[in-house]
Amino acid sequence: MKDEGDSTDLHSRQFPIREDMAYQLKVWRFERVGWYLLVLCMLLGLLGLFSRGVISSQDARSDDGKVRVEYEMFHRNGSTNPMKISVRATPESTVELEIDGELLDGFSIETMQPMPQRMRSSGQGMRLRLQADAQGQATVYLTLRGDGLGLFRSHLNAAGSNDVKLTQFIFP
Amino acid sequence: MDSVLRALAMYLALMVLFKIAGRRSLAELTTFDFVLLMIIGEATQQALLGDDFSLTNSFLVIITLIAIDVGFSLLKQRSGWVSRLIDGEPTIIVENGKLLHRRLRHARLVEADVMEAARSSQGIETLEQIKFAIIERNGKISVIPQDPHSG
Repeated sequence: MKDEGDSTDLHSRQFPIREDMAYQLKVWRFERVGWYLLVLCMLLGLLGLFSRGVISSQDARSDDGKVRVEYEMFHRNGSTNPMKISVRATPESTVELEIDGELLDGFSIETMQPMPQRMRSSGQGMRLRLQADAQGQATVYLTLRGDGLGLFRSHLNAAGSNDVKLTQFIFP
Repeated sequence: MDSVLRALAMYLALMVLFKIAGRRSLAELTTFDFVLLMIIGEATQQALLGDDFSLTNSFLVIITLIAIDVGFSLLKQRSGWVSRLIDGEPTIIVENGKLLHRRLRHARLVEADVMEAARSSQGIETLEQIKFAIIERNGKISVIPQDPHSG
């Protein structure tokens, strides 16, 4: 395939067009490096850097284990993702869950199931009164739609438990 | 405000992406390239308009896109540097009947691509009949045949 002319292949020619091979080589290098970056983005996308994947899906618990939150760390503006909050309480009692911080600034809650017994505002966020079942478990499923852009920090706690801190990022 | 920013971001992102893809990626449109182009268009359209399907929004997006496009063409006219950056430069790939292999490799081309262009544009049968083959800025390969009198 190679012949002795190969060594001058990349020299600039003056006829029939004026070439600048140094520049053209840069362009080709840019294309090659760009391709690597595209593949990298694809892999990161598969891993969930841009929401829904191993990197993004988080499972946070409070230190005392009373509150557990399963959520997506990375969201995209306009798309919806689920969030599951489980609280341990005395069986057949009610428990107050407080969601505070920037969560409600960045997200709108599209659905909440089951509906809590009572909802009221509290600080920047809201307070939900949940009914625990016979095993002392109260769970609420939310669907969050990302409306904002950027980083949102929020924290959840049930009456008397430690905080669960959430950090979420919404891509444009 | 966000419509203008969306259009601006999309224009620049697509420009960079197609620069990475190289000038030849969509120059010779095969059936599959055509389908690919349509899919890219679909994916772009959603992000450009968001969930706002009003006339105002679509006007704003179209106005922004055309304004950037005209702006770039004005810039290209004034500055050779910008023109070179955006449009690139032509590159010779066959010189006096000889393939410039290293250039072909960098440009992700094979001999068959050159011969295809030679056949379709000049009715040329062999490589020796080509004086120059050049990848133009738009990605098409133009072929200049050997002068028949020079032997």
